[in-house]
Amino acid sequence: MEYWLLFGVFGLLMVVGTPIAFSLGIASFATIVYLGRPPIVVFQQLNSGVSAFTLLAIPFFIFAGDLMMRGGIAARIIAFAGSVIGHVRGGLGQVNVLASTLFGGISGSAVAEAAAVGGIMIPQMKARGYGADYAVNVTSMAALIALLLPPSHNMIIYSLSGGGRISIADLFTAGVIPGLLLAVSLMITAYIVARHRGYPTEPFPGFARAFQYFLVSIPGLLLIAIIFGGVRSGVFTATESSCIAVLYAFLVTLVVYRSMTWSDFVHCVTGAVRTTAMVLFIIGAAASFGWLMAYLRVAPILTEAVAQLTSDPLMVLLLINVLLLLLGTFMDMGPLIIITTPIFLPMVQRFGVDPVHFGVIMILNLGIGLNTPPLGPVQFVAAAVGKISIWTAMRSVWPFYLAGLIVLGLVTYIPALSLWLPSLFR
Amino acid sequence: MLRAVSTLVLWLAGLGLVTMTIIVAYQVFMRFVMNNSPSWTEGAAIMLMSWFIFLGAAVGVREKFHMGFDVLLYALPPSAKPWLRGFSDMAIFAFAFGMVWYGGELALRGWSVRIPVLGLPQTFTYLPIVVSGALMCLFATERFLLRLAGERVDDDALEPSVSEA
Amino acid sequence: QTVLRSSDTHPDGYPTVEAVKRFGELLSEKTEGRYSVEVFHSAQLGGEADTIEQTQFGVIDLNRISIGAFGTQVPEATVTQLPYIFRSADHFHNVLDGPIGEEILAAFDAVDVVALAYYDGGARSFYNSTKPIETPEDMAGMKFRVMQSDIFVDMVGALGGNATPMPYGEVYSGIQTGVIDGAENNYPSYDTAGHAEVAKFYSLDEHLMVPEVLVVSKVIWDGLSPEDQSAMREAAKESVAYQRELWAAKEVESKAAVEALGATINTVDKQPFIDAMKPVYDKYVTDPALQDLVARIQATEG
Ligand code: NA
Ligand code: NA
Repeated sequence: MEYWLLFGVFGLLMVVGTPIAFSLGIASFATIVYLGRPPIVVFQQLNSGVSAFTLLAIPFFIFAGDLMMRGGIAARIIAFAGSVIGHVRGGLGQVNVLASTLFGGISGSAVAEAAAVGGIMIPQMKARGYGADYAVNVTSMAALIALLLPPSHNMIIYSLSGGGRISIADLFTAGVIPGLLLAVSLMITAYIVARHRGYPTEPFPGFARAFQYFLVSIPGLLLIAIIFGGVRSGVFTATESSCIAVLYAFLVTLVVYRSMTWSDFVHCVTGAVRTTAMVLFIIGAAASFGWLMAYLRVAPILTEAVAQLTSDPLMVLLLINVLLLLLGTFMDMGPLIIITTPIFLPMVQRFGVDPVHFGVIMILNLGIGLNTPPLGPVQFVAAAVGKISIWTAMRSVWPFYLAGLIVLGLVTYIPALSLWLPSLFR
Repeated sequence: MLRAVSTLVLWLAGLGLVTMTIIVAYQVFMRFVMNNSPSWTEGAAIMLMSWFIFLGAAVGVREKFHMGFDVLLYALPPSAKPWLRGFSDMAIFAFAFGMVWYGGELALRGWSVRIPVLGLPQTFTYLPIVVSGALMCLFATERFLLRLAGERVDDDALEPSVSEA
Repeated sequence: QTVLRSSDTHPDGYPTVEAVKRFGELLSEKTEGRYSVEVFHSAQLGGEADTIEQTQFGVIDLNRISIGAFGTQVPEATVTQLPYIFRSADHFHNVLDGPIGEEILAAFDAVDVVALAYYDGGARSFYNSTKPIETPEDMAGMKFRVMQSDIFVDMVGALGGNATPMPYGEVYSGIQTGVIDGAENNYPSYDTAGHAEVAKFYSLDEHLMVPEVLVVSKVIWDGLSPEDQSAMREAAKESVAYQRELWAAKEVESKAAVEALGATINTVDKQPFIDAMKPVYDKYVTDPALQDLVARIQATEG
């Protein structure tokens, strides 16, 4: 009964159009009342769901993106990128994926990456005639590269959940090829979709013009260098780099480009507050919902059911993938890794699946779940930055999901994609 | 009148975001340049974040920027919209009331508990929920009453502040 | 038949998790199956601060928690968080198994939970990526990530180091890139968090031996018959020996594991470290009753 209540109330409220956050919160509330426990926990989790230092990257990167957009940094970077790659169909889609790959090398958070790359790229892509949904979908799927390329704190959570016997260095290395594979497949998809939709191409303006574009975009490009260098050399952490991005964008617009008025600044601040509040309020409410799912042991019950179904290794991996995709629509990545790893890992290890390999499968799979409503924080950030509804994004996301699922299939059934690189370092 | 409240709250939230930026920048500066990490910055930044998120979420109820799905709206005739929206407003009110009630209980209880390192009472952790919940109740009631009075509150085009967000 | 829900922040298989499972079996035996226990490990229901509140409100029934997580709520418990207050594992056990231990357990009544028993949490020591620490002077200017706790921050400061706040999940990368030099923890966590891969020097200063406690919600407790209450206390006490056994084995295993990863472990002369703690004790032990408690702990054999 309590299971039906939790999901039923949620589904009902969603259908009538109640905002996601309130639907999640009320469903949790109704369920805990039914269970006869104090509902106070729903509001405790609402708060602790947003009280994590690593979430700071979301407001900061969105804020930085707004500053760069209004202050002209973003337009100049994109003008340069456009001059170099504009003659390719969907060239800015490719640039988006490249930027995500680069950023993925310093951040382990897909949400932060969607905020950082999306904040700059989405408004510019829209301005240059790309569909907002296209820009949003490229951004949200490419953001998953951050989960696979090192560093990736989710791999650390996985290692911990697997009993701590799995080398984190191996996991980090194992993610590299699948991460790059995802990048390539998204670039191909971005190209095909752009062609299909007939997005404009720009003629190559000649080396002299391109060089000019390059010169004026240097202050903006320097930000990428500062963030990358700063994190790599230990000046600041990946989360803190988001704050550095805000300061730098502010200084460049104010001092170098002198293109920001007080009212522009206020617009940036309030815009960032709106976007962040919307996304993080859902994340908070989802924490309550996730708490109830944990309390009711939804994941372990389903997981153990799957374990009973079959003993064919290929089928087991398939079923695990399907189940994780399902659970990933409702639950956040961290808790799911923690709950399902101790059950699935011993199961697949019996068939000789390497724990490092399984970790990569799990991270990629649950990463896709970050892009599926009702709980899709990465998608929410991208859609919020692109100012489109989740509906609009969902209607055209399929080619990009497909690209992600194909990579997931390859990673699942070709262990060498994950295991070859770490084997070179042993 | 409530528009002014909403704008004021939005500005306060914005101030929180700016202050948070300064605090984290200070943390990096003190650690890397002065080699003397302040211990309070992490806790303070998180607290400010929770303040501006919940304040911003309250503004979202008035500006209608919270994400939903609207599946039925596509299937039903336009005349159903006020009914569905009215129902949603009641749902929002109910949850927001819970935020005030239970957030208040958490806040009251937290008075004797100190937040580590910051030294403030735990009350400050839960106060944003209470304040945000109260504002949400206010904004949801406002829209509900305006709708009853026949105002076209469900027309998205009538809210310029939303599209500009 | 009632299933009691118990929270633990450690992963499945960890000595505390296994001990609470054993506690559940014993409880079930003693109550003819009327009560059993289900452990929610790996912080599934929330971190320490969250689950303490949940226990106090009666949302969950039991909680296995590090005593430090109660912060200043239970002043008597704070005393066990003072750096170097326990001289050795024997001293630690003698204090907690004796009247002082009972006195501290009883102090939890004031915060709406009933504390049943202590488990072992091992000794925490510093580790870093640059050099073995032998004297407090070695720590000068080094950045250590510590938990958000006033005593920890002041302890590192008193030793001349730099207490740096950082979320636990970023510590691995933080040490790797050099944002911080190191952190501090016991052998098992040093091993399972993978920190031994990036911070090779583990220096056995053993600044803290954290008692872990098993607490039950007052809401649940008050609903139990006196017989069931004593069954619960007995089951908890009986699970302690089992936990200590598991813990000892875990430490040996973890030590071997970190050595296999290339960690260098060095012992230190603790006296200079203990001497440096005077200002910390002066700051946190101001109440005469607590001063007396500290004196009695220090006077305990072991
Ligand atoms: Na990454
Ligand atoms: Na999802």
